[in-house]
Amino acid sequence: MSECIVEAKNINKSFPGVKALDDVSFNLKSGEVLALLGENGAGKSTLMKILSGIYSRDSGEIYFFGKSVSELSPKKAQAIGISMIHQELNLCPHLTVAENIFLNREITHLGIVSHNEMNIKAKEILNKLNIDISPETIVGDLTVSKQQMVEIAKALSLNAKILIMDEPTSALTSKEIDDLFRIINKLKSEGCGIIYISHRLDELQFVADRVTIMRDGKHIITTNFKDITMADIITYMVGREIKEKFPRIPSKRGKKILEVVNLNAGRLIRNINFELYEGEILGIAGLMGSGRTELTRTIFGANTKESGDIFLNGKLININKPFDAIKEGIVLVPEDRKKDGLCTKLSVRDNISLPNLDILCNSIGIVDRKKEKNIVNNAVKDLMIKLPNIDVEANKLSGGNQQKVVVSKWMARNFKVVMFDEPTRGIDVAAKVEIYNLMNELKRQGIGVLFVSSEMPEILGISDRILVMCDGRMTGELDIKDATQKKILEYATKFDNKIAVS
Amino acid sequence: MSKKEKRNILKRMLEIRGMGQVITISVGLIVLCIVFAFLNPMFFSSRNIGNLLRQIAPILIIGIGQSYVLITGNIDLSIGSVVGMSCMISATLMTKGINPWVAVAITFVCCIAIGIVNGQLVASCKLPPFIATLGTMTIARGIAQIVNNNYNTDTIGNAAKGFRDFFYYGRFLNVYNTIWITLILWLIFNFILSRMRTGRYIYAIGSNSEAARLSGVNITYVTTKVYVYSAICSCVVGLIICATSGMGTMDAGNGYELYAVAASVIGGVSTLGGQGILLGTVIGASIWGVLQNGLQFAGAPVAIRNIVIGIIVIISVLLDVIVRRDKPKIKKDNRWPIQNNNNDVKA
Repeated sequence: MSECIVEAKNINKSFPGVKALDDVSFNLKSGEVLALLGENGAGKSTLMKILSGIYSRDSGEIYFFGKSVSELSPKKAQAIGISMIHQELNLCPHLTVAENIFLNREITHLGIVSHNEMNIKAKEILNKLNIDISPETIVGDLTVSKQQMVEIAKALSLNAKILIMDEPTSALTSKEIDDLFRIINKLKSEGCGIIYISHRLDELQFVADRVTIMRDGKHIITTNFKDITMADIITYMVGREIKEKFPRIPSKRGKKILEVVNLNAGRLIRNINFELYEGEILGIAGLMGSGRTELTRTIFGANTKESGDIFLNGKLININKPFDAIKEGIVLVPEDRKKDGLCTKLSVRDNISLPNLDILCNSIGIVDRKKEKNIVNNAVKDLMIKLPNIDVEANKLSGGNQQKVVVSKWMARNFKVVMFDEPTRGIDVAAKVEIYNLMNELKRQGIGVLFVSSEMPEILGISDRILVMCDGRMTGELDIKDATQKKILEYATKFDNKIAVS
Repeated sequence: MSKKEKRNILKRMLEIRGMGQVITISVGLIVLCIVFAFLNPMFFSSRNIGNLLRQIAPILIIGIGQSYVLITGNIDLSIGSVVGMSCMISATLMTKGINPWVAVAITFVCCIAIGIVNGQLVASCKLPPFIATLGTMTIARGIAQIVNNNYNTDTIGNAAKGFRDFFYYGRFLNVYNTIWITLILWLIFNFILSRMRTGRYIYAIGSNSEAARLSGVNITYVTTKVYVYSAICSCVVGLIICATSGMGTMDAGNGYELYAVAASVIGGVSTLGGQGILLGTVIGASIWGVLQNGLQFAGAPVAIRNIVIGIIVIISVLLDVIVRRDKPKIKKDNRWPIQNNNNDVKA
């Protein structure tokens, strides 16, 4: 019926150690909205980055408007008419709407920028989309939704025919979502093709024409939206095979050790309540950006909380900064080891001893180097960190060994609760297993372990109980006996119903 | 076996981080000394060496303070003004007939106050250190001018002879007191930086302040402490200048903050934080002093001296940048084989 504007055939892409895309094919027709669905790590973003020229593909063919395109760069993709609207907007907040729309393509006369003409042209584009924004407004003064519309206007002014929208509704209110959908429908009627990535399945009925579902880098199914039910969509999205064996050990759950009551901190921590028991690994599942990292950081005192209480062993504790948490015996292994975990310019010795200097120093603050060396050597031995000597710079280690250094920082201390935030991200299988073993060992010792992960198999494989977060709220709790990938995903996509049923 | 151990100790010495660059610039320093000795045989006379060391001393002291601040990833531009403030406050108090040692104590309190303000502005109020210390630099200079109503002081007189001897003219074991003061300060600060908890925190903050915070380090407290240390160093230099000239001059220490940066940076302290050792600052300050002294001896005018020192600063940082740029390539080739090296660790 309508022409195929994008056709991708047998796309393959590998990153070191991971096959991100495995023989993926899909197409997009003009005047339609294609919803691209899949769990974290299903390969959606990789595929979109290949389409917009950010990554190059290993093999496979891409046709735009029927023409084969071999080498694709971001600039070339733009020239073809592909525009990606990212979750984080790419606008200059100090410039006006018109200046943003015409950034790098300013209308000039004899080298002098003609603001007048730019404003008129910008107004035309905005009017066409029925967007009520003055082109002279400073972008930073606009709400997020308006900024997003400016971004769309900018894409259109570049004659974009193919729009990729990554989670466009995540920061919008229901009224704003209505506006966005109106614009999407208008673009559709003008023959644009839109690839719409979202985890909010309930919204799809208002915009999607077709859905393509991906899993583990593979294309699973493409079908008309009206031919598929929500339950089927979730079934297709999960069902990831659990290949690895997880070394789960049975253990007796002890008494309640940590209790979080009505914790609030910004949009991503809303009324969180849960408890953690001794000798238990409590998994926290959820999609990217569901507030899991923020939760661990707020409990640890790295982010400030707005309200709520934290009880340790039944006693109310007051945590304002990480040091307070450490003193109480709550420690955090942060998500981003380069950013939050390691002093990469310093030696492994310095890194491991850093949080333990209070026990390594005498009363006037002189470091006991013998004691330090013992602690560091023990940590290196216990976690089997591979390094030439303990004075080697931390950034010379491999990812897995760096992660082990971050973990081992805490192991010399006595602590009661440990929070692991994505401890296995980007490390090899052998190192993963060592981290699992360590978590099990901690559990055996009666420590409460909080384990945040985006990998369903590992969270199902190692946790005793799973909490699921969605958009800053706790949407479900599952005992491991009843937990399945499908149930987790159902809870993880339980967004607030923002759209009034019309 | 013992030979091997000896080699290990040498190797360990070389493995102290930053030692490589210190050795490189030490070679540069030796070459400079030889060149100046050829140009003027009097360069190595005991008299000139005494002068040279006393020329290096103040630069080294403020260099220590600046190195501390730079290693935390910040900068202290108020150093020169605090030197001037220290000089003027102590001299004014002494001309008013106050006991020199009481005057010294009051001077320390005032300078430490500036350090605390610097630290709080940078760490608590999160101002960019460049701007915050630019502000206190101007304020401290203003204070230096106002304490004696916009005039340099008269001579601090005979009552202050003990003070002048202690900071400048006196000798102990035939070595000038200034040099002893510098040596003692260096030993203390080097010990803090290399062997004490505060030192570890300083490096950690400079390398990755967020990781340090998540490890329980109190960033505000440590940063403030570092600025206070820097102010103490500047204060001592102000007192030395006061003792030297026997009066307070309002523009004492003018431009010293940048000399301090130069000494640190030539000595291998990274302006990005997390890297550098105080041994490097010694060599950096020495190169600065030898150039000043040697060029002066050779009859070069001040203008030429400035140009040469500027070039040396740029070259030394440039060398560091180039070495660092090449590093990743070497790293890849040297990837040690994956093996458990626990034995090696124990050795």
